[in-house]
Amino acid sequence: MRNAMKVAKWEIKRNMKNKTFLIGLFLTPLLIVGFGLIGSWIGGSSDDGSYEDEMTVFINDEIGIIDELTQYASESGLEWSIEETNVEIGDVAAELDGAEDTAYIFLNEAALNEGVVPVYIAEDVDPFFSSQLAMFQGPILAHQMEALGLTEEQSLAVSRGIQFAEMDAEEMTNDEALEDEASGEDFLAGIVPAAFGGIIFISILFTGMAMFQSASQEKKDKIAEIILSSVTPEELMQGKIIGYFVLGLVQAAVLLVFLVPMILFLTDVPLFEYLFVTETLLFVLLAVLNYLMFAAIFVGIGATIEDVTTSGNFQGIVMMLPFLPFIFIGPVVGDPSGLMAQIGTYIPFTAPGVLLLRLTMLDVWPWLEISISLVIIIVSVLVFIRLAGKIFKVGILMYGKNATPGEIWKWLKA
Amino acid sequence: METMLEVKGLNKSFKDKQVLKNISFEVNKGEIMAILGPNGAGKSTTIRNIMGIMYPDEGTVTFHNHQGKGIPQNKIGYLPEERGLYKNVKVMDILLYLADLKSYPLDKAKKRILDYLKKFDLEGKENVKMEELSKGMGQKVQFIGAVIHEPELLILDEPFSGLDPVSQEIFKDEIRSLRDNGTAILLSSHQMNLVEEMCDRLFMIQRGEKVIYGSLYDVKQEYANFKCTIRGSNERGTLETIPEVENIEQDGDVAILYLTKDVNPNRWLKQLPDDVTIQELAIDRVSLHEIFIDIATDKRLMSEEGEIHA
Repeated sequence: MRNAMKVAKWEIKRNMKNKTFLIGLFLTPLLIVGFGLIGSWIGGSSDDGSYEDEMTVFINDEIGIIDELTQYASESGLEWSIEETNVEIGDVAAELDGAEDTAYIFLNEAALNEGVVPVYIAEDVDPFFSSQLAMFQGPILAHQMEALGLTEEQSLAVSRGIQFAEMDAEEMTNDEALEDEASGEDFLAGIVPAAFGGIIFISILFTGMAMFQSASQEKKDKIAEIILSSVTPEELMQGKIIGYFVLGLVQAAVLLVFLVPMILFLTDVPLFEYLFVTETLLFVLLAVLNYLMFAAIFVGIGATIEDVTTSGNFQGIVMMLPFLPFIFIGPVVGDPSGLMAQIGTYIPFTAPGVLLLRLTMLDVWPWLEISISLVIIIVSVLVFIRLAGKIFKVGILMYGKNATPGEIWKWLKA
Repeated sequence: METMLEVKGLNKSFKDKQVLKNISFEVNKGEIMAILGPNGAGKSTTIRNIMGIMYPDEGTVTFHNHQGKGIPQNKIGYLPEERGLYKNVKVMDILLYLADLKSYPLDKAKKRILDYLKKFDLEGKENVKMEELSKGMGQKVQFIGAVIHEPELLILDEPFSGLDPVSQEIFKDEIRSLRDNGTAILLSSHQMNLVEEMCDRLFMIQRGEKVIYGSLYDVKQEYANFKCTIRGSNERGTLETIPEVENIEQDGDVAILYLTKDVNPNRWLKQLPDDVTIQELAIDRVSLHEIFIDIATDKRLMSEEGEIHA
């Protein structure tokens, strides 16, 4: 183990002195922060809608609720200029000809009785206009009921209508939580530890991929045999895994140094309050286990490849494994407790990623699934490290060519 | 003499092919022991088995002076045949790392590195990156890496390959001086002339088998018969009348006569026939190089020895 630590120390030192690594180290967070700022800038301005032109809504109001509607629209944040008009339905076509962002609404007794309000809009009107208009249903209905002489309570009961809501039986226990008004804050409280775990997850995964480069380069430069005259292959491999793990944490730390001030600056999320919870521990554990699994795979595969440009499909496929969880993102977001999500939780390569995503979205954690998944992950990590050791031992000393899947299989059986 | 390394009955097979057959030899303190053989004879495989990079199917490797299991890695210096170093790191950093891996005190290592760089004409290069060095300079740094921790046993696999003559001389001097200071040195090479100059004992290997093993003097006594090179236009028939000649190689005006083992050169010269035309004549022993070529190509120029080799 002492030798492994020496190797680890060397890998850290070597990379920290390497310009390429340092540039990557600071470029990654700068890019993320940069995109974040650009995003919020664009997002901020898009509140006005990409159809920034103000909508002019003419209302031929025969029932006298235009003031209520105007107030309602401004309270809802719609930038409409509502004006009263005397234009008759027959003349609308002429008025709208060549007009932009204009609509005519005719409110009269006949419309109320039939329940259909005629609306005429110009071409080139915001496609969301008609759905935004639906908001006027409330005040108009209220006016109608008042006219019919219903009391406020009665009108409320009628206007509420009946809805069918789908409930998840498994999440029944959580119904109380759902009723909490503060569900928005709950969501953030869940997201922050997961995002923290996610950052570590991604950071060390990427440095884990750098390890592939390192093993392959070592083979190419024929360093391995010199190093192996001082340490065992197992120690060399362990040292690399530990070393790149620390480098990954450095990357995560640098990322957070940039990211945390940005979040505190842009939002008023009580970041640290949300962060220091037990959930964070599980997320970090998942990230570490995921790293160990792919680090083992990468260091093993790296030892079989001398020249990346001529490596076969087999190695290419293995290199894609860490991206497998991305396949599950869609289904998991769609239904965090669904079949696909559960399958993803039990496949070793996808389990850490899928679990991380699911736990972010689920309000109640399925502890049984988490436990089974963790066992699967830990066993896989141990198995992969063992297999990688076998491949590494032979592969790193095989100079001059890439190993074939057949050869790798033979080493695994040895 | 104190034995440092003992190799006994090594056997190793790759698939169905046996690459080492019953290899046994010793390396003593303060001597240079050479493993010689053509490419693919099994030199590097033997060394890798000693270093624990491969494991023999049968046989033992014993490090005297070392109690306990395994290989005393900190006491061994190793320069592999396939060698290289990290490209984008400084000379000093990589050498200190190698010293650290051998648990050698770093302050002492630093001093030795500077001394060696000076000795090898690399003074002031300690902060230069490996990729900026020439190939020969890189080889020197690798050599320093192998000896930085004052090993008791130094294993050099083809140390001279790719070196220019000047660097070869520097290496030879350094290897000799390490030997004189008591280091046991195991050296593999196919460059006979270099080995002949410096080795004390040798082990010649062909197709994984021992061919010759002994001190350079004994080997020469035993295998290196006299040969006589005659320049002058002579008929082959004339040359064949000369007694105590085993084999004749003739190329134009130059003829090489391989003499029998027990020949007495003085007597043999006196009884040269008068009708042999001699413009130049040289008599010397067959060199290690020729023994090697002879074995490697199975030409059996020296017929008697050929039987031993087969």
